[in-house]
Amino acid sequence: MNLALKDTLHAPARFALTTLGVAFLVMAVIGMIGLYRGIVEDALLIIDRIDADLWVVQGERAGPFAEGSAVAADMDRRVEGVPGVADVRRFTQFSQQFSFAGAPRRATVTGVDVPRDNGRWLSLAEGRWLGGSRYEAVADASTGLKVDDRIQLARDVYTVVGLTRRMVDSAGDGLLFVGINDAAVIARRRTSEEIHLARAAGTGAGVVSADASSVAQDSKISAVLVRLDPAADTARVIATLQRWGDVRVMTTGEQRDLMLNARLWKLRLQILTFTGMILVITAIVVSLIVYTMTIEKLHVIALLKLMGARESVVVRLIGQQAALIGIAGYALAVALAWMIFPFFPRRVVMLPPDLAQIALALALVCAAAAWVGITRASRVEAREVLS
Amino acid sequence: MSGAPVLSVRSLTRHYATGAGLVRALDGVSLDVAAGELVGIFGPSGSGKSTFLMLAGLLENPTSGEVWLAGERVSHAGADLDALREIRRKRIGFVFQKANLIPFLSAVENVALGLEIADVTPADARVHGRRLLAALDLAHRADSLPAKLSGGEQQRVAVARALANAPPLILADEPTAALDRVRGRQVMEIFRRIAATRGAAVVVITHDPRSTNLFDRIVHFEDGRVCERPQIY
Repeated sequence: MNLALKDTLHAPARFALTTLGVAFLVMAVIGMIGLYRGIVEDALLIIDRIDADLWVVQGERAGPFAEGSAVAADMDRRVEGVPGVADVRRFTQFSQQFSFAGAPRRATVTGVDVPRDNGRWLSLAEGRWLGGSRYEAVADASTGLKVDDRIQLARDVYTVVGLTRRMVDSAGDGLLFVGINDAAVIARRRTSEEIHLARAAGTGAGVVSADASSVAQDSKISAVLVRLDPAADTARVIATLQRWGDVRVMTTGEQRDLMLNARLWKLRLQILTFTGMILVITAIVVSLIVYTMTIEKLHVIALLKLMGARESVVVRLIGQQAALIGIAGYALAVALAWMIFPFFPRRVVMLPPDLAQIALALALVCAAAAWVGITRASRVEAREVLS
Repeated sequence: MSGAPVLSVRSLTRHYATGAGLVRALDGVSLDVAAGELVGIFGPSGSGKSTFLMLAGLLENPTSGEVWLAGERVSHAGADLDALREIRRKRIGFVFQKANLIPFLSAVENVALGLEIADVTPADARVHGRRLLAALDLAHRADSLPAKLSGGEQQRVAVARALANAPPLILADEPTAALDRVRGRQVMEIFRRIAATRGAAVVVITHDPRSTNLFDRIVHFEDGRVCERPQIY
């Protein structure tokens, strides 16, 4: 008979509560690692998916994600003429607050170069990609917008024509895709006073529109995305572009490196530190639980030894109980994580390799805890039954 | 006494060093118990009865002297207690004042456990366990947990457990102390029956004078020695 199972079933409520405690700890570990993965994945979403070989950004800057970047709006034409360049797209991205349904919302406006950018690098959950016309937007569902919703950005009203899912920036704000020209207009929004002042200072250069900026706006896009010809020599293209002096050229790999090791480094370190702390706490708690269960069974263990039970019977009793707690706690943790984490404001990514590593860590914790219990049980003598 | 000795102890001594000096818990006891014999060991508290059970039950090593089971020397001053587990498993059954049943196992499982430990298949162990419980009028309580059993029923389950492996030697330490007169007598009668029908050597340590007529022989302990006085406490 399985003594561990019999003992467990004898006090199911206690086992359930113990398992729940372990499950919450394991779920916290899954959550922290998942949060880390989610932040990294969100941060690299655009970089990885946008299908660019090179990013041409403002000279001496590491834009557009790690630092601000502004290049001339016609930079794409200059880049397009470089040998080895297959195609170019203009790109800009900035945070934007807006009102919708009487509530303030946040989104990261992402200007894409339609129609050259046909949205092939992202998948739509609903609706369609941006057409050629102005004042259309494709929003991520996390912004709370739906297809056909109308929102005011700057002084214009935009219609949501498509929806994406899980397209957010490194801060977790949903992306709002608009045409690059619309993005420039949104970015240049000015107050009425600014417009009046600009008109008053006008030197007859014509009517100042609401779109015109009161500050210098020579550069209205963040970067030019470059795809290379399959046969192009990447180093030669980069060298050619950088010789211009006013731009810096970065590869996708450099962008990833900057994002992870510059912008997100402290956040990553903090999350990993917390993950380590929770793992240590889990190890201590599970060890204490198994040890306490062993202490409570010392009389039974002494009795088993008195009856002549081999040491393996005692080892199985303690080891199987530690394993039961570990397996049940882990299974419950994964189930709870699947149910609860989708409701979290930031994405929690549960990858099978991470779950496997957590399972392995928990197995090691349970094994160590069982070893502590078994060591204590090995000191029990049969005659203690009589005490 | 009938048959060859199942248990023989020779010059068994157990000394403990305490702050107050050396305590001679057992001091040169020699005793034989034959198959089918029911022996009562009487004596006041501190006379060495329980120490004798510890040594005879291979739960502790003697300071000097030897314990023999069925002609084989099994314990002495330098014996490896861990290695004696197998002998306990196969040759000795224990019954104590408290039933010491495992609380999370039913009555039949408590009995069957001893068999499973001795590598009997679980199914066979259960069948045999039920048979033993039936023999002790506990068939109807076989699936009950110890907490649901009366003190007398628990003690009978403990007896059944001690009998599970059909050991040639049963050692009982105050088995009736926690029972009323009727149930105490019932348990002693069971021991009498076990000795008679199974041919086991049964050694019962007791203070209880009510069942003295059931014993084949009474041994009196005093100050760690066997006392020749026929008087019973």
